[in-house]
Amino acid sequence: MEDKKFIRPCSIIFGLLLALTVTTWFIGTMGLSGLQVSLMVLGFALIKGQLIGDYFMGLKQVSGFWRWAVTLWLVLVGSLITYAFNITA
Amino acid sequence: MEKNKWPPGDLVIWFFILAELLVFGVFFAAYAFTRASNVELFNTYQLTLDRNAALINTVALITSSYFVVRAVAAIRDNNSKRCFHWLLAALFMGVVFLVVKGMEYHHHFSLGINLNTNTFYMFYLSLTFFHFLHVILGMIILLAVALKARSGGYSAAEHTGVETGASYWHMVDLVWMILFPLVYVMR
Repeated sequence: MEDKKFIRPCSIIFGLLLALTVTTWFIGTMGLSGLQVSLMVLGFALIKGQLIGDYFMGLKQVSGFWRWAVTLWLVLVGSLITYAFNITA
Repeated sequence: MEKNKWPPGDLVIWFFILAELLVFGVFFAAYAFTRASNVELFNTYQLTLDRNAALINTVALITSSYFVVRAVAAIRDNNSKRCFHWLLAALFMGVVFLVVKGMEYHHHFSLGINLNTNTFYMFYLSLTFFHFLHVILGMIILLAVALKARSGGYSAAEHTGVETGASYWHMVDLVWMILFPLVYVMR
């Protein structure tokens, strides 16, 4: 019997990732633009990244530095992109 | 639940993953800051990209990652055969990604677009091709893991190789989660 405590949350996360992806695509095909829309889309991407790190990579069950390695990367990359998009707005 | 001190798989792969993430992070920042000086150019040529293809590829990578999660769960349950089958399914989704991305490249190249066309295409082609190469490397790793799983090389007690390959594959997926909106959608 496979570990349902591992698979069940990952299946839910899988659905969430697909939903956020389709939402992002829909925003793109609608031709929506501007700082607020871009930051919302970036926010979706950062949430997706965090979910992949926590559940698929299993970092939610890890303590110390490695627990936050992906989070730190997402915050760093997200901040830089946000700043770059802000200075053009 | 008690937490582990180390992430799943071989610790060496995690240092490799960190290095890869830093390189992609620099690439993403370079794209965003270069765009800041060329907003009109980037917004104009971004519209030439195929967002439907990008959607298919994003779904393919997410699904592939989920299949890898199932492969890890199977081997933790000591089921090598099921682990092998999930890894094959993950590899199939990887092939879907490569085919769709290859079709996108073929379309651009047939129009005479290359790295010298303009700054946007320079970033688009180099960034996505750099990721494309990582998908290929990830698939080679998954294939090696799958073949070893088929021959009974892993068990519930010892499956570090499966978790190591899985961690790398999830990193490839993770990077695309930022690349997709940044290059195809944000404007």
